[in-house]
Amino acid sequence: MELQKFYYDNKIVRMFAYATMLWGVVGMLVGLLIACQIIFPMLNFGLEFTTFGRVRPLHTNAVIFAFVGNGIFTGVYYSLQRLLKARMFSDVLSRIHFWGWQLIIVLAAVTLLAGFTTGKEYAELEWPIDILIAGIWVVFGWNMMGTILKRRVKHIYVAIWFYIATFVTVAVLHIVNSLEIPWSIMKSYPIFAGVQDALVQWWYGHNAVAFFLTTPYLGLMYYFIPKAANRPVYSYKLSIIHFWALIFLYIWAGPHHLLYTSLPDWAQALGTVFSVMLIAPSWGGMINGLLTLRGVWDKVREEPVLKFFVVAVTAYGMSTFEGPMLSLKNINAISHYTNWTVGHAHIGALGWNGFLTFGMLYWLLPRMFKTKLFSNKLANVHFWLGTLGILFYSIPLYWAGWTEASMWKQFTAEGVLKYPNFLEIVTQIMPMHYMRAFGGLLYFSGMLLLVYNIMKTVKTGSFVAEEPAEAQALQKEGGRLVGEGWHRFLERKPIRFMILAIVAILIGGLVEIVPTYLIKSNIPTISSVKPYTPLELQGRDIYIKEGCYNCHSQMIRPFRSETERYGEYSKPGEFVYDHPFQFASKRTGPDLAREGVKTGKLYKPDAWHYNHLMNPQSMNVQSIMPKYPWLASKEIDIASTPKKIRVMQYLGVPYPEGYDQKANDDLKAQAEGIAAGLKASGIDIAANKQIIALIAYLQRLGTDISASPTAQK
Amino acid sequence: MSNTDEKNMNHGEPEIDELTKDRFLGGHEYDGIRELDNKLPSWWVWLFIVTVVFSAVYLVGYLVAGWWPSQSKEYDQEMAQLVEMRKSAPDVSVDTATMIPLTDVASLEAGHETFKKICSTCHGQNGEGLVGPNMTDMYWIHGDSLNNRVTIKDLFKVVTNGVIEKGMLPYKDQLSPLARQQVLSYIITLQGTNPPKQKAPQGRKYDKFG
Repeated sequence: MELQKFYYDNKIVRMFAYATMLWGVVGMLVGLLIACQIIFPMLNFGLEFTTFGRVRPLHTNAVIFAFVGNGIFTGVYYSLQRLLKARMFSDVLSRIHFWGWQLIIVLAAVTLLAGFTTGKEYAELEWPIDILIAGIWVVFGWNMMGTILKRRVKHIYVAIWFYIATFVTVAVLHIVNSLEIPWSIMKSYPIFAGVQDALVQWWYGHNAVAFFLTTPYLGLMYYFIPKAANRPVYSYKLSIIHFWALIFLYIWAGPHHLLYTSLPDWAQALGTVFSVMLIAPSWGGMINGLLTLRGVWDKVREEPVLKFFVVAVTAYGMSTFEGPMLSLKNINAISHYTNWTVGHAHIGALGWNGFLTFGMLYWLLPRMFKTKLFSNKLANVHFWLGTLGILFYSIPLYWAGWTEASMWKQFTAEGVLKYPNFLEIVTQIMPMHYMRAFGGLLYFSGMLLLVYNIMKTVKTGSFVAEEPAEAQALQKEGGRLVGEGWHRFLERKPIRFMILAIVAILIGGLVEIVPTYLIKSNIPTISSVKPYTPLELQGRDIYIKEGCYNCHSQMIRPFRSETERYGEYSKPGEFVYDHPFQFASKRTGPDLAREGVKTGKLYKPDAWHYNHLMNPQSMNVQSIMPKYPWLASKEIDIASTPKKIRVMQYLGVPYPEGYDQKANDDLKAQAEGIAAGLKASGIDIAANKQIIALIAYLQRLGTDISASPTAQK
Repeated sequence: MSNTDEKNMNHGEPEIDELTKDRFLGGHEYDGIRELDNKLPSWWVWLFIVTVVFSAVYLVGYLVAGWWPSQSKEYDQEMAQLVEMRKSAPDVSVDTATMIPLTDVASLEAGHETFKKICSTCHGQNGEGLVGPNMTDMYWIHGDSLNNRVTIKDLFKVVTNGVIEKGMLPYKDQLSPLARQQVLSYIITLQGTNPPKQKAPQGRKYDKFG
């Protein structure tokens, strides 16, 4: 057999590794900023570009897609070549992938701060960037599959199974959730509305966690833990079962983000049970990671890389147990919309993704530079700073979440809410926000130590850009051999493997999403629900642009504690014209679903909204909401009204034929009315300002069904 | 890396890992990573089975057999309990016809608490007025103009039913009658306190108050 000589491309790995570090620093720093904004509203700086509603999506996108994304590619480009004994399929594709991904990140940062957002969490980027992401993702997959096909190793290792599942599933999720109709070069409306949009979004959102933050990192775990510990993988059989069970079951679990909302009961029930069934498959990965270290626990005490890995896998085990528990209705009723969810997410992000990335960087960079890590001591300090950071971050938020939920829900003996003032609850958990920010600071300092340590390491070593390797060419083998297990056979048929993975992940999505279209009874229509007026539509776009959904929900759950606080619980038929839905996932401030109902519990006059948006602290001294003064100076973009109306009509919103041309007349009339009312209250503001549109939208919220007798209590 | 030596694989007796005494799988070697032939841990298999059984029971119970209530039924039950709670609560209904301001310390403190939690949002921390009117001056919007007097009875009506068009919410569902009386009693003590940043007078001036 012919022994072939070739070279691993280390340069691309180094590029992705440096990008991981750079975006890690940026993403965590932005996280620290928004943690402090919650404590000191003045840190919003009174500027639209630095306000929480725009900066928080920048933090989540930077950490997920820039830090973890580049981390994935670092590990994949390093391990794939070695596991397959082959150089990457194409150096050109590798470079297009790298620079394309960095371009996406820069565009994301600029557009998010400029206020271009779809208003869908973790999928905020607008349509031109969505297309770019899809293209670059295909480049990544093409390069990976090309490398797999020209491999010199007969079977593909379990890490690569996870890489393949990641590639196909993220592609499907991203494309379906980004189906949108543009009305300008930078803005679009999603084709789904209301409850359907919510279902698609959380099918995506949940599986972004699954297939961007979990499966690729399990792949990395399967490579870097055995390599760093120099130990065999605990169980091949377990890896088969937990891989297929994980990818098949994960895709169904999205509705657990929508428990007790207007989503049909059957879909919620599926979300719950598939989450519960995920415990074992998730723990399969944890077991295979931890038990691989059997026999070398003494090394774990010495070696910082292994320490990072052990905490990462433990955090993974904890959050994949906690996740299913949070998917149980009675627990979700407590945790949802509170800081508990934020704490839970960060056990995964800081513990699992962060620590696995740190361990990986500490392990592979010295190797590529043919040297030793500059300082094991500093890496140990980083380890402890990070671990303490996670504890200081998450424990206060669990506590805060529990406090919020109990204060939201408590009634007095007379049967009235014990804490009717939402702000009192916000103030109560403020000490926990301080501790969380401190935890974040510790974690961030650890990250800076990593950068310093790596910079020093790189200086002492000499980089091996082209690492020589040799292996025998792959012998062609056809059909399944006698005595060859079916899975072993599949491991040398990567295309078949990929197709089976696609089938496995499509089933759950189809079963959940398609029926909400085909079965009318899933979303009972309400005749009094009418499309937004043009002014309200413009106001809604401002609401989305300013990221109000980052702190305010629009979904009253059927609990007496919510109907007593906010009014009648939300009905699925109320959201049929909401492109996109705005249920949101966190209540830093109160729910706004019935904000406009005049007889409601939260009703405020236009003048209150005006003063409150201009300076929330003038109305409530302890309020932590940012100021929005620019809304009173910027004008409503009325040139866009006809285009918006036409896209809405195309999406099935029943504006009358030809309404796009008349819409601005109605818009102006309604705006004049609001401005005149404000004037009567002593507020002088021109009718063409954005704040007028936003007030119009807020006063519309929840009003459609309050007119109908069935909705009255 | 002695345990990755390919020559030892695929021949004769399965190779045993020295540290754990587990069997290696022959032919499974990727960049030096080998795999062990361990079975699935039985507790793990049981965990998986239990979650699957739980799920089946859950789906049948909620969606088919109706053993447990749907979320809208759950809500109805919860509300029914609330109605019961309100009925069985000690009768604190106050006689609005003969109501006078409370003056005991406990009532005024309770009123102050309520004011801080709810009223201060619109009327200011010290009653100086924000979007809502100033509570510390002699000017009132909802008084008894015939008798040139503002009484707690007049204000009780405002707090109970609200003045929706001006943004004053009705508090009949959120505050018990006693709590309304307490907070109004507190507000009456604010008269003439002259806090900073007072809002300009609204309504007409009344000479008698309380």
